[in-house]
Amino acid sequence: MSKAEKILKALGGNDNIAEMEPCITRLRVQVVDPSKVDEPGLMAAGAFGITSSGTIIQVVVGPEAENLCEDIEDLR
Amino acid sequence: MSLTVLAPIAGTVLLLSDVPDEVFAAGIVGAGCAIDPGDEPSVAIAPVAGKVVKVHPHAAVIEAAAERGVLFHLGINTVKLSGEGFDLRVEEKEVVDAGHEMVAWSPADVRAKNLSAISPVIGLQAPPDAIVPLVEPGSVVAAGDKLFTWL
Repeated sequence: MSKAEKILKALGGNDNIAEMEPCITRLRVQVVDPSKVDEPGLMAAGAFGITSSGTIIQVVVGPEAENLCEDIEDLR
Repeated sequence: MSLTVLAPIAGTVLLLSDVPDEVFAAGIVGAGCAIDPGDEPSVAIAPVAGKVVKVHPHAAVIEAAAERGVLFHLGINTVKLSGEGFDLRVEEKEVVDAGHEMVAWSPADVRAKNLSAISPVIGLQAPPDAIVPLVEPGSVVAAGDKLFTWL
């Protein structure tokens, strides 16, 4: 599985993502159901860290955030 | 080989933990510090020499060497401005000297949009003990002043 595929899966899959946008080092994701987010899975996929606040999950991935976001969008 | 990181903008030096953003404050992106600028418009400069590996209007990463990426991020949540009010003066993949003009912006305009203008300066993935501050938190720096050393 590619990194994008692993992150998409750990976020709970396509149906769980309401909105996603990259900032310079992170993916900001609004999810439908936060309980479907697999944080250890995100870390295993290469995230440096994760913060969550309600349905907003921020996945810190470093400067490749933008490319990764495009790769994930391509899978959706 | 240690790397000296310059202040990209003028302002009051803050601890990263004082940044109103939990990702930066927790050091998830890496260790560093932050600068709280005055209201006057300014041009942010390159904090190190290197290759601009990533650039947004409001933020940039310059790679000084392998595993030595330095991020500066103008304001918090400023991705929401979609570049409005930021006049970018560099392109991605450009090689710049320290002090090179990167982007013109106005902290007052950012604050007028109810966003914080506090600007983190970070050694990407730098552990806290690798960053040695060269100025005390609370002191005022000019753009180009030495901010910290990345061991």
